[in-house]
Amino acid sequence: MELSPALRDPGVSRRGFLRATAALGAAGLVGGCTATAAPPGATPVTIWSWLTGMDKYVAAFNAAQKDVFVELRVIAAGLSGGYAQQTNAIRAHNAPDVLHVEYQGLPQILLTGGLRDLTADMADLESQYSPAAWRGVRPDGRTWGVPMDIAPMVFYYRKDLFDQHGIALPRTWDEFRTAAAAVKQVDPQARICSFPLNDGSFFAGMSWQAGDPWWTAEGDTWAVDIAGEGTVRTGSFWQSMITENLVAGVVHGTQDWIAGMHDGKLWGLLGASWSVGTLGRSIPKDTGRWAVATMPTWNGKAANGVQGGTAFGISAESKAPEAAMTFLRWLSTNPEVPKIGSTFTTPFPAHLPNRAIARQAYKGGYFIGDPVYDVLDEAAKRVPDWTWGPNALRLFSTISDAFGPVRSGGTTLPDALRKIQQHAVADMRAKGLSVREGKTA
Amino acid sequence: MSVLAPERAPVLDEPSAAPVTRTRKKDFAGLVLAMPFLVLLVSTVLVPVLYALYLSLFTERLQGLGFSGPQHVFVWLGNYVSVIADKAFHAGLGNVALFALVHIPSMLIGALILALLLDSAVVRLRRMWSLAVFVPYAVPVVIGGLIWAYLYSPTIGPIKNLLGFDPLSDSAVLPSIANIATWQWVGYNMIIFYTALQAVPREIVEAARADGAGGFRTAWSIKIPVIRPTIFVAVVFTVIGSLQVFTEPMVLRGFTGTVTSTWSPSMYVYEAAFVAGDNGRAAAASVLLAVICAVLSAVVMRFSTRRSR
Repeated sequence: MELSPALRDPGVSRRGFLRATAALGAAGLVGGCTATAAPPGATPVTIWSWLTGMDKYVAAFNAAQKDVFVELRVIAAGLSGGYAQQTNAIRAHNAPDVLHVEYQGLPQILLTGGLRDLTADMADLESQYSPAAWRGVRPDGRTWGVPMDIAPMVFYYRKDLFDQHGIALPRTWDEFRTAAAAVKQVDPQARICSFPLNDGSFFAGMSWQAGDPWWTAEGDTWAVDIAGEGTVRTGSFWQSMITENLVAGVVHGTQDWIAGMHDGKLWGLLGASWSVGTLGRSIPKDTGRWAVATMPTWNGKAANGVQGGTAFGISAESKAPEAAMTFLRWLSTNPEVPKIGSTFTTPFPAHLPNRAIARQAYKGGYFIGDPVYDVLDEAAKRVPDWTWGPNALRLFSTISDAFGPVRSGGTTLPDALRKIQQHAVADMRAKGLSVREGKTA
Repeated sequence: MSVLAPERAPVLDEPSAAPVTRTRKKDFAGLVLAMPFLVLLVSTVLVPVLYALYLSLFTERLQGLGFSGPQHVFVWLGNYVSVIADKAFHAGLGNVALFALVHIPSMLIGALILALLLDSAVVRLRRMWSLAVFVPYAVPVVIGGLIWAYLYSPTIGPIKNLLGFDPLSDSAVLPSIANIATWQWVGYNMIIFYTALQAVPREIVEAARADGAGGFRTAWSIKIPVIRPTIFVAVVFTVIGSLQVFTEPMVLRGFTGTVTSTWSPSMYVYEAAFVAGDNGRAAAASVLLAVICAVLSAVVMRFSTRRSR
């Protein structure tokens, strides 16, 4: 839940109820507005997006050339209404030329059959993208989207407090448990971090690291493995941390969480690349306290998950797919874009040459310890294979519902995971999808 | 529909030939005057309702990986069957039933007591009091929900310390939601009751006083029976409102994992339509919710007419 504009970050879907309400209203009003403001001779391209700063990118693109004129409509973020609006527009055959899809939402949008196959248009760009982002737009080996950014997970920690109390930065999850106990010993009110149980996207990112993808497209069949060994190992670890009262349960981004982060009650954050911006904006007075490190690992095997990340697709019914592609290639690969982005956020582009530009433009000064972009680059390299399934967005609610009773001891994370697996398989089969349970063959 | 009512009167007192054209003319005028209402009724109520009924009979079927797009399939009452069999829907109905049990009596009794106090002579600064109680109704529900969510938050809000337990914990979240709704609606219903009390004939009240009835006795034996129809209308509206409760739990869901995505039937509909993208199931659940609301309102109305006879 995002409660303040300061917490909004590009490429991350969160339930923002204020925006949901606004979206419901807006969805009714928008419909089929076709009037165009395109100058004569330019091909009009419409885009729906909730990416912060998209208006600035679009304005820069329209100013830079005369052949294509992009018209932006800002829609509600992801599950706050954006996906519903785009899906309904595809069903009603009045979708915009360019649609906003996150990697985690791409396969679900694909179920509408409303996206254009971009395999041939994108083939030449493969080597320029972060491999994790490239895989993210290719769930079945065809390219369905143009990557914008990628959000590898990293560990943010209060380096000042860790150093002051002689607690070593944990490099494995075993060390993490030791460090968590040490933090609690120093200050019985403090915890090493929070593990929010109502955030399915976060838990997916944590499980991603363990190396057992929840979905795999095998030919014409989905292999679904949400209760696989790696995920259950992740669940068991955090269950024991919760049982031993070594982690807080506060929801990331709430006022409670911000207060805890600022007051020294939370000494760390299992965050993603976009948390760089979140920390700078929600606790701006904490300059010189926080550092960034790669995630603790399972027994030294370098890996970390991803939480969020944006891509854009082109409508299958677009009348101007070439013009739309021209814009998306510019948006994804033109060096102007990260320069503009750096003026209001901390972009972490999927396009590697652009990432180098974002790194140069980053001002720094807030964090101590290792350079932020070094850590993020290393984290992006460590992302293992993963495919999002066609029910990923809904699964996030299922996870949050199933994990609810964990707090009061009503269930355990591994038990809940087995239920989630059954629920997901039944849900997919009910839709008519071809599903096989268990690990990839 | 009340639109058709006025035409009858002239037919009765006008004899033979002429009235036919007269009535037609009047019909026409009536129709024109009713047009704005009819257009809005048809376009914003009837068409969406019929479309929801239509949608509730279809589902989308996929095959393989699903990337080749869906096929619309007519499933008769399949969506209704799956909603009725869904444990999450039952749990949602259970939650709103409990919510109604907490919310309706506390809110209506509170509103009635406040209205009686305002109506009696004992209260000074009547306007200030009524405004103070009414203000929460003027606050948008989302904002009210956020205010309470901050108050409930365990580390930054004061309520946990005051009560000694976490108002967002599994067992306390339902009364916490009911509390938000009660805070929101008590002033509104108080105004309705107060307005009805103003219309109670003063002679009856004075007669009661002359017979030696005190303030409490007057309220119990005179004022409340006189405004009973108003109270029943408020009960009907509150029952419907309770069944459809949505915003308060939806806001708290951002603060705690104890509110599930299908906590109330309205949230179930929202989840089906906007998260799962299953419009058929969402439409079927909406229709079922509407039927349940209609039946319960009818029961309350029947009960109220019987009581006031």
